[in-house]
Amino acid sequence: MLMNERRCVITGLGLVCAIGSDTEECFESALKGRSGIADVKGFDTSNCYSHKGAEVPLTNEQLAKGRYDRTTALGIKAAGEAMADAGISADSEDAAKIGVILGSCIAGAACVEKYYVQKSKGEKGDIEDLKAMPATVIAGNVADYYNCGGITANIVNACAAGTLSVAMAIDLIRGGKGEIFLAGGCDSFSSLAFSGFHALRALDSNDCSPFNHSQGITLGEGAGVLVVESYEHAVARGAKIYCDVLGSGVSSDAYHITAPRPDGEGQMSVIRRAIKNSGLDFTDIDYVNAHGTGTAKNDESEFLSLRTSFADNDHVSVSSTKSMTGHCLGAAGAIEAVLTVKALTECKLPPTTGYSDEDLKVLKEKSGDIDFIANTPRERADVKYAMSNSFAFGGNNASIVFAKDPNKLNLLCPKQDLYVTGIGIAAGELDEATNTYTVKMDGDTFKSYGVKTAFLRKLDRLSQLQLLSGVKALEDAGITVNGENEDKIGICIGTTDGPMTEIANFQKEIIREGIEKGSAFAFPNTVYNAAGGYLSIFTGIKGYNVTIANGFQSGLQSICAAAGAIMFGYENIMLASGTDECTDIDIDLYNDLGLTGEGVTLGEGSVTCVIEKDSSAAERGAKRYAKIAGFSSARDTSGDRLNNSRLSETALTKVIENVLEEAGLKAEDISCIYGFGNGSTKLDDFEKEVYKKIFGDGIEVKLIKKEFGEARAASASLQFAKLAQDIHDGKFENGIAVSCGTSALYSALLLTKA
Amino acid sequence: MNNEIAEKIKGMLVERLRIPADELEYDSELFGEDIGLDSIDSIEIIVGIENLFGVDISGAGATREDFRSIETLTAFVEAHKED
Repeated sequence: MLMNERRCVITGLGLVCAIGSDTEECFESALKGRSGIADVKGFDTSNCYSHKGAEVPLTNEQLAKGRYDRTTALGIKAAGEAMADAGISADSEDAAKIGVILGSCIAGAACVEKYYVQKSKGEKGDIEDLKAMPATVIAGNVADYYNCGGITANIVNACAAGTLSVAMAIDLIRGGKGEIFLAGGCDSFSSLAFSGFHALRALDSNDCSPFNHSQGITLGEGAGVLVVESYEHAVARGAKIYCDVLGSGVSSDAYHITAPRPDGEGQMSVIRRAIKNSGLDFTDIDYVNAHGTGTAKNDESEFLSLRTSFADNDHVSVSSTKSMTGHCLGAAGAIEAVLTVKALTECKLPPTTGYSDEDLKVLKEKSGDIDFIANTPRERADVKYAMSNSFAFGGNNASIVFAKDPNKLNLLCPKQDLYVTGIGIAAGELDEATNTYTVKMDGDTFKSYGVKTAFLRKLDRLSQLQLLSGVKALEDAGITVNGENEDKIGICIGTTDGPMTEIANFQKEIIREGIEKGSAFAFPNTVYNAAGGYLSIFTGIKGYNVTIANGFQSGLQSICAAAGAIMFGYENIMLASGTDECTDIDIDLYNDLGLTGEGVTLGEGSVTCVIEKDSSAAERGAKRYAKIAGFSSARDTSGDRLNNSRLSETALTKVIENVLEEAGLKAEDISCIYGFGNGSTKLDDFEKEVYKKIFGDGIEVKLIKKEFGEARAASASLQFAKLAQDIHDGKFENGIAVSCGTSALYSALLLTKA
Repeated sequence: MNNEIAEKIKGMLVERLRIPADELEYDSELFGEDIGLDSIDSIEIIVGIENLFGVDISGAGATREDFRSIETLTAFVEAHKED
């Protein structure tokens, strides 16, 4: 079976940002070079050296009905337009099949600020703000809003998140895990991001003009959503088709947490990957919507990457629309993907704005054969292939390719069996003082793995936990990362709450001291993918790199995504992790949410499993714990959709049925379930009841949270790791690990004897 | 060298940049192999010193050499503190 043989097409577009409240208005503004950048209105910047921003002039109430964080509200607005454009109404049969994959960088930052402003005044924080803070809830809330019943994921790879979301939607369709997705990204304008980039001296004091003055970025806000659909599904329902989306590339710099590699290697790698995965040559690309932020470091390395990659291409046009939309972080790649689809299909390429006559002369000299579009749009009837690139903190790079021509479909790799070949566990022990399960680690723990103090001191607790399980897993698998294998290994991390401690502490500090006093040292660790970035930097892993924040089950969904990345031939080996921390901040938040007590004890940890394809494991003579025989995620929108912590027997049953079917096994073949019960009577009883119906009374259900606490995504990964170890130890032949997420999303993996 | 200033700078480096106090001497090479600071850390040092002593060290023309160690930073702060 060839995995990349399904055509994926774009059938709907939705866009909201500072240059318009829908796709048409935004595209018209972009072609006219109309900028959305103005003085910041959302908060006081009088003590800052920059006062510029690209805010959306719509209130939350104008964006979405009901109470949502602004990031989610922006996502709801763009998703609604995309669905309407695709001819699908909420609550319809087609909507029930739609999955939602959204990228975000700063998640519920507006609610984080509101909550901690209240707390700073000695008031009780509003629990609705608390619930809306984490990235974990965004995609589920958007899916529930329109009654979309497909699976969800929040991709949290900072400024590459929007592009990665579209890339993941293609993979899920080609992997047979769905037919139609809303894919994109959303992020609001926030004091947190403004303060952070201000601290890094990365804001332009004027309107940004990428590849020109390169004095910094201008932050923006918005959302872009694309309907990504299998060609067969689109044709069957008579959908309008904009274009094909051919393929994607994802890579890691393995260099620095905020700065791109000056030699552009990671960027060139991702461009090469996207072109190869799309079955194209460098000379095929007609238009590139560049990352083009306006910082000197980005613009210099990106210019070098583009000139080097397209040295033999005499017809590629390039522009950065951030000069008008601002840098919308996790939404940026999605906004630019929508503009790229419009540019491709209408043969009108938007410009980069802000060039004087003198600037244009300089640009001409440095751009060589690249047709760099400045100030005025370019009409090109011959445009067939267009690329959109995003490069993020953590050294995460992502690229996607859209095409008018579907004929060059790339047939990638033959299907191979996947094995667990390494396990690294950093699990908590009961700390009686705090009544939580915490991981004991210090400088000496890391020194034994060659981690120097100079590196370790930069890492927040979440990143340290992730690094520890990652290096343990590599050691257990007997893998040394070197020049031969560095770009055939990738990383996929799942987390429920990400670096919430760093986010909360940063926000509290700027509430106390002022936006202009944010810490340049602390800010990089407020992004969810910092942990994956540090793991890549320390180990030298340069392949695929994605972080998913999607409730407890993220620790299993990361393994599903890792399996996908190998199946599509992106990598031979993936490190798949689940990681969550337990600090004073987490304890306070979970206590305030009322989720602890009554049997539930909070925990932390990180578990990394090495997932490897058969041929690679055979070549290395790797130890094989178990074989992945099936993986699935499923959701359900029945019941009270306003309650995103609802349980669903339908979805839980469905993921188990799916993995049994994929493995060609029956319920009676399964000896053991590693479940997600955490001591809460409601959750534990629900779970046991569903298993009883499927497997009968005799099934053994192991609940590891009794021993390690509710470590959220880390618990889900630990369930999987323990199952693999049991099978390897010969305790039984077949078992399933299952976990639950927000908005009734469940994931399951079936492991069998290797 | 003014020990009072040096100790305050050391405390700031330990707190803001999470450098272990027992690995940080007054003459340690801050941007060398030992401590391994980078450009983000240098921004943090500038802000930290401004908060502590009211000295804008980048505005006052500090060079790379002035950032070499706690000793050199102390000397720079001492020379510009009254300005």
